Amino acid sequence: MKKILLWGGLLLLLAVLAFGLFRSQQGQVNVGELAPEFTLESFSGETYRLPDLRGKVVVVNFWASWCESCKPEARDLEAAYQYYLPTGEVLFLGVDYVDTEPEALAYLEEFQVTYPNGPDLRTEISQAFRIRGVPETFVIDKSGRIAHLQIGPFSSFEEILGIIDPLLD
Amino acid sequence: MVAEIGFGAIFITLIFTLYGIGAAIYGDRTKSQRWILSAHQVLKLVFPVMTISVGSLLYLLATDHFEVVYVADVSSRSMPLYLKLTALWGGQAGSLLFWSWLLAGFSSAVAFRKWDRDRDLLPWVIVVNLVTLAFFLVLNVFYENPFTRYWQDASGILVSFSRPEGAISVFPRDGGGLNPLLRHPGMIIHPPMQYLGFAGFIIPFSFAMASLIKKRSDDRWIRLSRGWTLWAWMFLSLGLVLGARWAYDVLGWGGYWGWDPVEISALMPWLTGTAYLHAVLIQEKRNMFKDWSLVLIILTYLLVIYGTFITRSGLLSSVHSFAQSRIGPIFLVFLTLTILVSAWLLSSRWKILRADHVLEQVLSREGLIIIGVVLFLGMLVASFWGVLFPILSELVTGQKVTVGPPFYERVAAPIMGGLLILMVLCPLAVWSIVSYKHLGRLLWKPFLVSLAGIALPLWGGYNRWPAVIAFWLVAFVLAVNFFEIIRRTRVRRKTEAESWGTALLHVLKRNQRSYSAMIVHIGVVLMALGIIGIEFFQTETQATLAEGQQLSLGSYTMTYEDLAVFDAPDARNVARAVVSVERDGRVLGELYPRRDFYYDSGQPVTIPGVRSTLLDDFYVILVDWKAVTSEGATFKVYHNPLVKWLWVGSLVFIAGVVFATWPGKKTNPRQER
Repeated sequence: MKKILLWGGLLLLLAVLAFGLFRSQQGQVNVGELAPEFTLESFSGETYRLPDLRGKVVVVNFWASWCESCKPEARDLEAAYQYYLPTGEVLFLGVDYVDTEPEALAYLEEFQVTYPNGPDLRTEISQAFRIRGVPETFVIDKSGRIAHLQIGPFSSFEEILGIIDPLLD
Repeated sequence: MVAEIGFGAIFITLIFTLYGIGAAIYGDRTKSQRWILSAHQVLKLVFPVMTISVGSLLYLLATDHFEVVYVADVSSRSMPLYLKLTALWGGQAGSLLFWSWLLAGFSSAVAFRKWDRDRDLLPWVIVVNLVTLAFFLVLNVFYENPFTRYWQDASGILVSFSRPEGAISVFPRDGGGLNPLLRHPGMIIHPPMQYLGFAGFIIPFSFAMASLIKKRSDDRWIRLSRGWTLWAWMFLSLGLVLGARWAYDVLGWGGYWGWDPVEISALMPWLTGTAYLHAVLIQEKRNMFKDWSLVLIILTYLLVIYGTFITRSGLLSSVHSFAQSRIGPIFLVFLTLTILVSAWLLSSRWKILRADHVLEQVLSREGLIIIGVVLFLGMLVASFWGVLFPILSELVTGQKVTVGPPFYERVAAPIMGGLLILMVLCPLAVWSIVSYKHLGRLLWKPFLVSLAGIALPLWGGYNRWPAVIAFWLVAFVLAVNFFEIIRRTRVRRKTEAESWGTALLHVLKRNQRSYSAMIVHIGVVLMALGIIGIEFFQTETQATLAEGQQLSLGSYTMTYEDLAVFDAPDARNVARAVVSVERDGRVLGELYPRRDFYYDSGQPVTIPGVRSTLLDDFYVILVDWKAVTSEGATFKVYHNPLVKWLWVGSLVFIAGVVFATWPGKKTNPRQER
């Protein structure tokens, strides 16, 4: 009996690792692919459905309050959001990955983020995009295809503009 | 040409290892000393041949050979020579080569020891070492070749080791440069130490496996591998401490340990390695725990491979992860085989490992050590669960749920408390029996002195009760050790009529092992002091200041004086603030928090300004700034009480381990069997 438990346990562990490896090998959704459909309910209660946003460039930023490397880009993202706000052509959506609401709200307040942000409930959105960590940002063009995938933080406000501007022409 | 030499050396080593494995197994099966001797020679040769390969890559890095993909990825012209050389472990392919080289180093070193008495173990020590080395070489040859080059043909840029037909060489003008987070003195030593620790455990693992394969029930393998284990464990400990220091200095979040999956993966073999070093004491003194010792050392090595697999396969995301790589599946195959073979060997030999004695008293020294081992294993189970949980939850429920630092902290805090209590009792407890009277007699004086550990923090304003208890335990451990040294020195002084100094020196020399353990434990409690300080009493604040404005935190006040943005000669744009710091109205000096932006890699790195004393650290991070306008700069400021003791304790800890491994007269607790 003990032996069965030992071998069963070991095989189960290896199976779990194999599954994890299989998922991680799939990688993120690729540039050029249609962005997966998702619905984000923001902390303030509004609902955003990706299919409803066709015709706009959508910037989906995955972050978390515990994520140190998300912090350097938080202000740049907000500045870019403010920059495009008058045009009405670009929508920024923050997806808060595996987090607690009080910490997340404190983070948004600390970095004065005003664009819509909401929790990734049941990690559905991050799984759909198959993200591998935070921060990761997907820029979706007006036709709903992924135009740019940013792994890790943006290094500057200008870098974000350099990616979005060509999509608006 | 140099790339060809480098790759050729890896390939030749791989052929050597495959031959060596075959020769050793055949030699053991046919009892042919000639074949075993031949395999033995191979084991001696792997390191020199691998050195040619590592030397080639170092040469290519140092001389800016950007036609080599690895060099172009991790190096750049603007980097100083020492960074170009450390770029050897700055990426996946190079660090795997470095790993193979260290493994080869340990394997060759063990080949040069005297084997006359242990001829029966030799073939299997060779096999285990060479199989592991062969696996890493396969990774370098077929998956992550650090000598692959850029080529160009009509279809565009190609990546290949050998020249594709009709293609010409491409020589990029510059490389992408090393990740800026790795351009730090701590990073020059942290990865090699970590790798030395990881790779070093191959030796005790190979002795343990050889002993199991040969169905030996004695503890010869422990004696043979004790020194190697201690060194590996010291390197692993150093790696962890240096990693913590690097995080504190570079990551700019005011902490030293983030319970990141990869940190935990490095901690897990350390936990089992530490448990093993304690378990073998019982095996040596009481001939108990033979089975546990084997399980623990095998588990340690499996956890090394498991941690490496997690870090390099892209299974978990972390600051330490390497870019997604193709090595995941083959790594999983190797891990599976290693686990299954080890488990099969252990389960089939379990009966011959039965102990000669049973545990008689829980409060005897062996009883207390067993409790310690259980506590280490408890932390291991929690860590393992925490790392595996996201994958498991995704498998079962379809959603990934991660466990954060609070989970680990809730488990680690009581375990640390338990270990501190054991460190109070253990030095005074006796093997196999327990005498409460004896314990009480030795405990009451240290107990009275340890009350200062309650009074002092309360006087200093540190009044959270879990912290006060922890401070008291720290003081108690220190007092027990101090009184114990004094007591033994006094006895020696009386019996030998020596001066205090001479008597102390003799006492320390006479039982090097026991006193080195004492020094290690003192190091640990000093580290605990730093951890308690920062975990319980860290405070922070953030503000945007105009020049001349002030910010206060605790008794400190800082004034934002100035900010300069300039280009440094090593292709770095530096934004450097000057802040002056005062405490209770007294000016203490200036700090220079800065943010470096590396042009080659396009990445920033934050370097805090820190004023560090034994009482506390004042830690300033430059978060943001407006270069031209007078809007000022944003600072995040941390006050980290006692954190310096974490580093002081680490030094004491390492000194203890070095003392333990130092060649000298060592007492032999039990005659070898």
